[in-house]
Amino acid sequence: MWSIIREAFDKTLLVAKAYGILHITNSYLCTVALAYGPSMIPTINLTGDLILAERISPRIGKVGVGDIVIVRSPVVPRRVVTKRVVGMEGDQVTYLLDPHNSDEVHSIVVPRGHVWIQGDNIYNSKDSRDFGPVPYALVEAKLLWRVWPPKDFGPMQHISR
Amino acid sequence: MKLLSYIKQWKSAAREAVAQASIAAQFLSFIHITDAYICSTTLVQGPSMLPTLNYSGDVVLIEHLSHRLGKLEPGDILLVRSPVDPKKIVAKRIVGMEGDRVTYLTEPSYSESSRTVLVPKGHVWIQGDNVYASADSRYFGAVPYGLIQGRAFLRVWPIGDFGYL
Repeated sequence: MWSIIREAFDKTLLVAKAYGILHITNSYLCTVALAYGPSMIPTINLTGDLILAERISPRIGKVGVGDIVIVRSPVVPRRVVTKRVVGMEGDQVTYLLDPHNSDEVHSIVVPRGHVWIQGDNIYNSKDSRDFGPVPYALVEAKLLWRVWPPKDFGPMQHISR
Repeated sequence: MKLLSYIKQWKSAAREAVAQASIAAQFLSFIHITDAYICSTTLVQGPSMLPTLNYSGDVVLIEHLSHRLGKLEPGDILLVRSPVDPKKIVAKRIVGMEGDRVTYLTEPSYSESSRTVLVPKGHVWIQGDNVYASADSRYFGAVPYGLIQGRAFLRVWPIGDFGYL
């Protein structure tokens, strides 16, 4: 009987070790994200794309304008959102207040320690135009390479304006 | 011939090295997971939390469970990543949760004028206990909940001040 318990313990330990390694890789190196929703059309499909995201760039300060990043939402803390960085701290960002109805623009300077994020589909995206500039520390990962669907396999487009 | 025997020796040494390294790696990752997700220690220094925390530095125990479970309340001392300098972590006290109305003195050293704000959804309002020398939400606004790193609950050094915060 003890040998069964011991074997169960060993197997559990093995699973725990494997999970620990997977978790640390996922949290600090590289993760796969399922990005879905209308806010990044046409870059990311509505029904969802699997994209490889790396977590090292935000820690070493290598996030810049044009990168697509995963950001923890400042409005719903349990949620992460995928948007494009449009302005870093100190940049002047100009955006349309109501793209459906008017051409009115608003200009803002991104404060220190913050980034301005926008979805590529400005007609249907809740982003910095709604919740303001986002503190840099909420940027969790940078999208690198699209893995699924196979026809879209390849690097994420980097657009600098 | 000699070369083959050298290679054999190195092979077994390399295998043992990998085994030891993997034990060390497992131990470090266990320590890391405890440190990042359960309990860790920090040296907190500066004037902004006087008299609760000393100016020259206190070692406090931080627990990382409450903020993940949503069990934070006004009055908790938090470790928060600064919204103006992402490399810095600051220790402040929660004064208001989302939806609360917070009233604070705009210029505590000079005047009695105060302002009332409504803490937006998904944010917390943090202030240092020493309102005269603290850069906190009165300066950089309400802080998104996602910036919270942990809650300080026990001071372990100096020993004379050992106790719950």
